[in-house]
Amino acid sequence: MPRWGMVIDLDKCFACQSCTVACRMENNTPVAGPDQAGKGRAILWNEVLPFIEGEYPRLVATMIPRPCMHCDYPPCTKVCPVRATYKNEEGIVVVDYNRCIGCRMCTVACPYGVRYFNWFPPEWPEELKQHLNPDPEVAPRPKGVVEKCSFCIQRLHKARQKADAEGRAFMATDYIPACVQTCTGHARYFGDLDDPTSLVHQLAHSPRAFRLLEELGTEPKVYYLKQG
Amino acid sequence: MPDNLDLKKPSDSSVTRRDFIKIGATAAGVGAALWAGSRLQKGSGVSSGPAGGAAIAAQSMEESLVRTACAMCPAGCGLEVRVVGGKAVKVEGNAIHPLNQGVCCLKGQASLEVLYSPERIRNPWRQLGARGSGDWEEISWDEAIDLVVEKLVALRQAGKPHSLALVHGELRGEMRGLVNRFMQVYGSPNTISTSSLGEQSVRLASYLTQGVNGLPVYDLNNASYVMAFGGNLLESSRHVISYLGSLAFMRRGRPQRGKLVAVHPRLSLTGIKADEWVPIRPGTYGALALGMANVIINSNLYDQDFVRDFTFGFEDFEDAAGNLHKGFKSLVLERYTLERVSAITGIAGETIARLAGEFATNRPAVAMLPTEPGELGSGNSLYSAMAIHSLNALVGSIDAPGGVLVQRYPTLAEWPEISLDGTALTGLGQPRIDGAGQADIPLALSALQQLPDRILHGEPYPVEVLLLLNANPVYDLPQGGRTAQALLQVPFVVSFASTLDESAAHADLILPASTFLEVWGDDFMEGTGYAGVTLRRPVVETLHNTRDPGDVLLALAKHVGGGLAEALPWKSYWELVRYRLSAIDTDWEIFESNGNWSEMVYFNASPGSAAWNRVVGRDRRLSPKDGRYDFFSRELYSLLANPRDEDCLPHFELPATLEDVGEFAQEYPFLLVSQALITQSQHWQGVVPTLQEAYGLQSHARWTSWVEMNPQAAEALGLEENEVVWIESQFGRVQAPVRFYPGLWPNAVFLPAGLGHSSRVKWGRGSPEALVVGVNPNVLVHMQSELLSGQAAFNPTRVKIYKA
Repeated sequence: MPRWGMVIDLDKCFACQSCTVACRMENNTPVAGPDQAGKGRAILWNEVLPFIEGEYPRLVATMIPRPCMHCDYPPCTKVCPVRATYKNEEGIVVVDYNRCIGCRMCTVACPYGVRYFNWFPPEWPEELKQHLNPDPEVAPRPKGVVEKCSFCIQRLHKARQKADAEGRAFMATDYIPACVQTCTGHARYFGDLDDPTSLVHQLAHSPRAFRLLEELGTEPKVYYLKQG
Repeated sequence: MPDNLDLKKPSDSSVTRRDFIKIGATAAGVGAALWAGSRLQKGSGVSSGPAGGAAIAAQSMEESLVRTACAMCPAGCGLEVRVVGGKAVKVEGNAIHPLNQGVCCLKGQASLEVLYSPERIRNPWRQLGARGSGDWEEISWDEAIDLVVEKLVALRQAGKPHSLALVHGELRGEMRGLVNRFMQVYGSPNTISTSSLGEQSVRLASYLTQGVNGLPVYDLNNASYVMAFGGNLLESSRHVISYLGSLAFMRRGRPQRGKLVAVHPRLSLTGIKADEWVPIRPGTYGALALGMANVIINSNLYDQDFVRDFTFGFEDFEDAAGNLHKGFKSLVLERYTLERVSAITGIAGETIARLAGEFATNRPAVAMLPTEPGELGSGNSLYSAMAIHSLNALVGSIDAPGGVLVQRYPTLAEWPEISLDGTALTGLGQPRIDGAGQADIPLALSALQQLPDRILHGEPYPVEVLLLLNANPVYDLPQGGRTAQALLQVPFVVSFASTLDESAAHADLILPASTFLEVWGDDFMEGTGYAGVTLRRPVVETLHNTRDPGDVLLALAKHVGGGLAEALPWKSYWELVRYRLSAIDTDWEIFESNGNWSEMVYFNASPGSAAWNRVVGRDRRLSPKDGRYDFFSRELYSLLANPRDEDCLPHFELPATLEDVGEFAQEYPFLLVSQALITQSQHWQGVVPTLQEAYGLQSHARWTSWVEMNPQAAEALGLEENEVVWIESQFGRVQAPVRFYPGLWPNAVFLPAGLGHSSRVKWGRGSPEALVVGVNPNVLVHMQSELLSGQAAFNPTRVKIYKA
């Protein structure tokens, strides 16, 4: 069973936000609009977070693209009173929108801020609904549930089906999330962290590798490679 | 088109959480059931899929991947669009396209919001009331084309074909040839491009020095040291995606890491992701380049062999008549000492010296020119661009690996012979309406910024019919409202806009363009150096009653008849493209299925070889094509009357507006810097909601404009973060919330480009039914023409800031 993980090389990431938009188009997160976006309610599973420190002209700027960390010890799942969010057997932290009661405990518990609550039913102008991804896993979520990055689990399902249909074994390289596919700097890597021959395994063991808030013991499966 | 993918209406309150629970199983299963269930409700007869799987495709859900060419910006990437049941649902990069190699930027990703935009114009519109009144009537294409043809025929009959003017923005692929041919055979010299607002002086700098009339391409894959002048390299440069890939490769894809230095008054994404950001006083790039040249020459770090054998005018020289002329070396050593350059640019002398040393000793090194509007608009852009480009010659980076490349284009089938009738010859003999190539701006190819005043004054003759093709001058250069007035003064204005942009709103007739995802076509591959073509094909059927402007021009030509119909005999733009591309020696089926064709490899010319003459001196008209790069521009020397030596050499003069002393500077203490961001689609004059939601990354600004100020300057004015302020220039004022941004030159302020468009759509909950998103920074500027080049000079504009 693979243990899916991602590596993001900050040296090759140019903070272009293509991952952010690719994620929206793949996963049908709705247009928030000026009012809701102004209240900080834009749902973007994969935001790029700017950290600009120092004083002119000596500044240190770090741009962190932030998907769900898919922690091996996820704080969000522990607090869910109805087990709507859980880590599946391949290490992906998912939400069962059907079970979710919208209590938002997980949203508070997540130290990375990756969980978004649907305050209202999602809205699109009628015409724009035509481009929504018809994959069932990403059907627009209703009001009152929490949603988040799923490593594009629909792509995993489709890759498995395709391998089956072609009568061959599924391979880890058959599947990548939308943000990895679109990354303009080729900065993202994805694969099975448990496979010692995989690129992600090797990069995760690079001396440049680090994880966000590692001291919390959440064991994120998203690794970053230091800039420079 | 079958409406078989009528997705669940998410806003429809008939689907409640309770319904969700009733259906339920696993997360994925729920989705599948709900999805299929909603379709069943619609009676489309699609059966539900197994839990955890995709909805099983009945034939109506047939899925395909269609390769096409992007047009959201001038980079021209290859796309692969996922189409399900006749709807485009996801965009990816074409993995076998040399420019983007499978990746796709946020604009390409968001292009489906352009395709399905509720703001698109769906039928030809005719203005019924007064122009600009918004009283539109839908008409048929036949009627619309008849209206235009009638005017075009009448103009020719009256012997005034030159009073037709066409303003165009970026034209890609064969559209350039088609438009030029149309205008030429019709008999009008007035094909006016927006290039004077952007890349014109860069193109001219390459022409006057290197002798190549084209935009330089930079070989970042092989460069060891990259110095980007301007903040656009990683945001909105012309080849942004291929450069992003190359920079990633430069850093982590090869044994030796290269260094990227960004020179810009603002810490843009380029500066953030560069190895070093060098803040510079706005408008002084040219001085920095000359200061660096001073150090490089003084220290004997330049490529002496290359400079001796393949350049002209480095040393002082004597001409055939025995007159002594100053060379680049003397000028730079005398005039651009570290102290002086440091005082002009505000960069410490030791920093300039270090940068120069690094540049000259980490070869291959390359100095990159910006091509976007606003980056080189200080009124000294031509000589600044020549100065920057000359750094490349100093270190021998002309057509060398890791240096400047000359973009090549494929040899296509010849256009058929044209015959110009007497009317056309008379028209073409008239001066251009925008004054390009005349008087003070002899080098200008276009001078759009002069058009409004010249229309208003009827100089040199009135414009009778104006066509706007992928251009929105009312937004790009408001000129204090004069551009809108000028449009109203032209008796007949036709726009090819897809949405009701600011210029189309002042037209008599709108011939709505289909989006690039609905049409057949082509695009040049630019940015790799080697020649290539990308094919465009419809990914979905045309959604509305719109047409490709290429097809419309061909229809106009046919109906106008005569020489014009003979010169453009094709029934459709695609037929024209097929004809032109027929000369490419490749299997058409593979070409179509790959979505592109290219030479795949760039052969650098070795200096002095036969091939060298194609990369240095190629396009010179008045000076020798001797394979020498001109530090001293012999082209300029021949062109100008009584030139001083300095007029032919890269040099720098501080524009008066940049002087921080004097009454004017006291009243308007800040310098407005504007820049296109990566979140702006330059080619779509409307609101793309997802791009709005990602617009101001560093400032967390969404769906709005903001003005960035250096915190010290803002505090000195007693401003608080997010406080709404007026930004006022001599020409206008706008309001925006202030953001403290430490990455900004102390007396610079930054307003983002590309905002200020109005939208007639309710975007999301709680938002108004119509709104204007942000403000247009161009209303603060008045574009003048720079001498010689005709580049629009407006940036930085002086502004003052005060509480609203």
